[in-house]
Amino acid sequence: MSRNTWKFHGGIHPPQNKQQSVSASIRQLPLPDKLILPLQQHIGAPGKVLVSVGDRVLKGQLLAQAKGFVSANLHAPSSGTVIDISDQPVQHPSGLPGKCIVIETDGKEQWCEIHPIDDYRQMDATQLLATINNAGIVGMGGAGFPSHVKIGTQQTISTLILNAVECEPYITSDDLLMRERAAEIIEGLQILAFILNPKEILVGIEDNKPEAIAAMRRAAQESTEANPGAPCAVTIVSVPTIYPSGGEKQIIQILTGKEVPSGGLPSDLGIVCHNTGTVHAIRNAVIEGKPLISRITTMTGNLVTDPGNIEVLLGTPVSHLLQHTRTSANQIHRLIMGGPMMGFSMRSTEIPIVKTSNCIIAADDQEFPDAPPEQPCIRCGACAEVCPAKLLPQQLFFYSKSKEIDKAKHYNLMDCIECGACSFVCPSQIPLVQYFRFGKGEVRKSKIETDKSDRARMRFEAHQERLEKEAAAKEEKRQQRAAANALKKEKQAKAKLEKEAAEAANPSTAASTAQESSNEPSNNDADEALETLKSNATKASKRYQQAKKALQMAEKNGADNIDKLREKILQLETKASDAKKALKEALPSPAKKIPAKSDATPNNTPKETDTSAVIAAATARVKVKKAQNALMAAEASDASQEVLEHLSTNLNTARTELEQHAPSEPTTGEAQ
Amino acid sequence: MAFISVTSPHSHRANSTAGVMQQLLLATLPGVLALFWFFGWGILVQITLSVITAVLCEAGILYLRKKPIAFYLKDYSAVVTAVLLALAIPPIAPWWIVVIGTSFAMVFAKHLYGGLGSNPFNPAMVGYAFLLISFPLQMTTWLPSEGNFGASTGVENTLQLIFSSSPADDASNYDAFSGATPLDELKTQLDLDQSTDILQQQDVFKGFIAGAGWDWVNVAFLIGGCFLIWRKIISWHIPVGFLAGLGILAAAFSLYQPAQYASPLFHWFGGGCMLGAFFIATDPVSAATSDKGRFIYGFLIGLLIYIIRTFGGYPDAVAFAVLLLNLAAPTIDYYTQPRSYGHDKPNRGTAKKDS
Amino acid sequence: MATEYAKISLDGLWYKNVATVQVLGLCPLLAVTGSVVNAMGLGLATMGVLIGSNLAVSLIRQFVTDAVRLPVFVMIIASITTCVEFLMQAFTFELYEILGIFIPLIVTNCCILGRADAFASKNPVIPSVVDGFMMGAGFLVVLLILGALREIIGQGTLFADFDLLFGASAAQWEIKLFDEFPGVLFAALPPGAFLGLGLIMALKNVFDARLEARAKAQQAPVTLGSKRVRTTGHIT
Ligand code: SF4
Ligand code: SF4
Repeated sequence: MSRNTWKFHGGIHPPQNKQQSVSASIRQLPLPDKLILPLQQHIGAPGKVLVSVGDRVLKGQLLAQAKGFVSANLHAPSSGTVIDISDQPVQHPSGLPGKCIVIETDGKEQWCEIHPIDDYRQMDATQLLATINNAGIVGMGGAGFPSHVKIGTQQTISTLILNAVECEPYITSDDLLMRERAAEIIEGLQILAFILNPKEILVGIEDNKPEAIAAMRRAAQESTEANPGAPCAVTIVSVPTIYPSGGEKQIIQILTGKEVPSGGLPSDLGIVCHNTGTVHAIRNAVIEGKPLISRITTMTGNLVTDPGNIEVLLGTPVSHLLQHTRTSANQIHRLIMGGPMMGFSMRSTEIPIVKTSNCIIAADDQEFPDAPPEQPCIRCGACAEVCPAKLLPQQLFFYSKSKEIDKAKHYNLMDCIECGACSFVCPSQIPLVQYFRFGKGEVRKSKIETDKSDRARMRFEAHQERLEKEAAAKEEKRQQRAAANALKKEKQAKAKLEKEAAEAANPSTAASTAQESSNEPSNNDADEALETLKSNATKASKRYQQAKKALQMAEKNGADNIDKLREKILQLETKASDAKKALKEALPSPAKKIPAKSDATPNNTPKETDTSAVIAAATARVKVKKAQNALMAAEASDASQEVLEHLSTNLNTARTELEQHAPSEPTTGEAQ
Repeated sequence: MAFISVTSPHSHRANSTAGVMQQLLLATLPGVLALFWFFGWGILVQITLSVITAVLCEAGILYLRKKPIAFYLKDYSAVVTAVLLALAIPPIAPWWIVVIGTSFAMVFAKHLYGGLGSNPFNPAMVGYAFLLISFPLQMTTWLPSEGNFGASTGVENTLQLIFSSSPADDASNYDAFSGATPLDELKTQLDLDQSTDILQQQDVFKGFIAGAGWDWVNVAFLIGGCFLIWRKIISWHIPVGFLAGLGILAAAFSLYQPAQYASPLFHWFGGGCMLGAFFIATDPVSAATSDKGRFIYGFLIGLLIYIIRTFGGYPDAVAFAVLLLNLAAPTIDYYTQPRSYGHDKPNRGTAKKDS
Repeated sequence: MATEYAKISLDGLWYKNVATVQVLGLCPLLAVTGSVVNAMGLGLATMGVLIGSNLAVSLIRQFVTDAVRLPVFVMIIASITTCVEFLMQAFTFELYEILGIFIPLIVTNCCILGRADAFASKNPVIPSVVDGFMMGAGFLVVLLILGALREIIGQGTLFADFDLLFGASAAQWEIKLFDEFPGVLFAALPPGAFLGLGLIMALKNVFDARLEARAKAQQAPVTLGSKRVRTTGHIT
């Protein structure tokens, strides 16, 4: 069962400190009196509140509904009364309070109506997706990205990865979850596999968790034996212990050797990666019908008398946890939510547990002493050696510090995953990550500004284009008038010719009229093509506008797939401009056709054959070339089938025309 | 209850800039001992003088710059600069040489550019180059090597040489005691149309490779350098590039005309080669940043050293080569960015708008 | 009128000093300041050319069209420089030998053309001459300081070889500062000149910063008073 693994660049080995919290099994705490539920526990837009103060809510009842695509539902973790909807201290790096729903629990734990699914294999994928969406599940490893967005990807997925690495020191919540509920996790994986239909399922676990690996292997085997027809088997891969192997990008690299493109998503590689807690929550949502209302949180730190993992209701204030783990709160020097490498230090013990709180560390000043004062960077390169993103942190540090945003971006500041490995090793004790967060903020700021000016420029260009279009329309009309005039003149000429012909008793009159009528449809054809091109162009630009609007919306929502939308927009933009180009190229052709036609007629009168025929042939040739070029351009730019067909009919008509004229002039054949 | 808020990470590896510098000092010990064995007490006197001067200068400048003096002195960087400079200075050079050189290094090369971490040039080498240009005579006069911890010259005699107040006496003193370094001698002899055969004949060259004593000094520095690499204080890229650059050119020339050009071994173990490769060129502040860049940086230093040693006006060239490449380090950095995760290829050159 | 000349003088000597502020004429500045006498020789020559060219340009300023003004100015400067060169050949031949190419090179000194174009071509004769004198003096002073600095550090003497400029009696002006001074070659070589000029400029900037700080400190009470007036109506 050993599978090849790859290595990522750098990495560090911080002291593990996991043993403190793994000895006890997962336990529960008495119900807290008050649950504080921040509306924003995930990346994306906060939900819309559905309850009001004074409402009685049941356990599992929907409190806030997802707003927009990248957002998540929020449910009541226990039954009780809504006593407040207001700003409360929450865990956010900015330290600003966030809007919360506060529930006073009644201790009855009365469930609302839930809908377990007996056999998810009978459902279709969209239904399951909706179930997961409704359960308000977000990535529980730390980032809190709404899970249904990841699962609902349109790309074909070949690999499903369970990120059970848990590389951060101190945290053991996934470890314990795997030890005790391995079968449920495997079941969750099978549900995901049913939806995504991948070729393989990989579970990456660091080799410092042998019990978890064994439990998962056993569960995986049992599951294969129980359902021989399962879509694909689960492979448990033990990966070397090194921080930050649990980063999404890093675990993908370790297990598949592939790198997620910068600014892209794992799904671009056909990979979806989920955290252990998340998969477990998905399983609960589908099999038991229970929304995400609790999570496993590690309580640890040297001030905690009873460290361990606790299944805690969302919204439970940290003070409640401290109290029930017998922690001497007054000695706390630093209280950290998350791990020591990437976690945030909390300002208050009243901050509630949210969907992403995987660990609480209560430490005194022995365990996490204050960092010594920052010394100058000596460019020793220790940071670059450990950076998993293969950046040059010392350069990023200089440029972030001096606000040279362009240079920082050139050194790929935006690819920094803020893992903190560089700060960890820096001998000069420089809080590098802090500088990078600042730098990223600056980049985003400047981006917003350029976007603003870009939009202004686009508006201006659109305006300019409208003006051009109007001018073009006028020009067209003018040419049509001219053509009509020419037609009239030609008719007069014809009448004259006819008279002459009649006088000369020449029999070619009939032929000439026939010729003319055969010319007409080709002209119509061209007009039609023009029409289609025009509508194509407008369609394309309309689509482009829509996409742009979507982008703006998404930006507002802080969606993560902005980059993809933006790419799409770029494509649409090129398409639109291509279509417009094709339109422009096609525009002059009717104007040319008309004189050609007027030339063509006299061609049949034997007296003027020579010169007029040459001209006619030449014009026709030009037309052929034009049409050919347009066709080629369209082909190259991937224009739609319709456009291509029209252009090729155009070309053919032009070719026939040429053939009609060319034989009448013997030299043309050679010249071609 | 409120706590102060600090950003992640919350734990740190227990290493410090001072620790790095201390290990560096430790690594110079073998070299210092070797110099002591072959050239006597002078080297210890020079180091003492240099360190005292450097610390005083640093303190003075920090005071002028209104910075916390004790905090910055504790990073040991001044001591490192002083020791490296002292190691490069002839053991019997008059006292004011090392004092002037060290003060120049600390004040002009280090603090005028903004102190530790901001100096584009290696301070020790700026000091050395300054001295070499200003006092060529005193800076190229070495004692002949002895090999008994300076017993034959004696402590008093050495002190007298160094502190003899009258520069006028120097000339005679030098005549009595001094000798040129093997590199110097070789250059002179080759200029006199001698062939490299003299390597076997003259006294100065009576070492196992590159002249009396010098080869052992270089071996000692090599040992210290390996210690640094083992302790991960420096990466192998610069020294290896350095020695490769020097060795390749030397090998090419000595294969082409062995009578005219000394062998790579002579170049590797002659002069300040190992000191330069492991202690001087690896000064991270003024070197290139990425691994690839560091290798190129070291390699170019090696090439330049050979070129200056063989065709230039000075017998040894570590200082000039290092300073020239210090100047080129930012450019090397621009073109050797590593390929970051998720990028198809590394970025090159300087940042463009909208890149 | 007097204030105008005061301003011209201050500009030339301090605020628009050719060497430390405009940083012009660096080539001779760095090359010939190895000793005071060299510096003085070149400084005086440059000053002479400056005064002469400013005078001439100011005289003909009405008659030269814009299009041809630069060639004309250069011609004037070149002629005057040649005169100065001949004079030096006649009276201080040894110094002329030492300064060598840097005497004819005065033609290319940007500050001379700069003053001709920026000042003399727009101002009457007398202010132009004063400007030339003061600019030249400012340049000369920096040259002398730098020369003295480099001579002291490089050779341990001051005012050596003054006989080259002022005749045989000046030979005793030389001051030997140290008895057995080894001479810091570095200072006598070009790098020393760069370093010295840098230090002089830094010193000047420090001085300026102090002046400015003091001026601000003196102005402070005035701003306080004016603020108080505004507090009556708070408009936002
Ligand atoms: S580890 Fe710290 S001191 Fe070393 S290069 Fe990086 S930022 Fe500078
Ligand atoms: S925080 Fe960013 S720069 Fe530092 S090691 Fe992690 S990815 Fe690299």
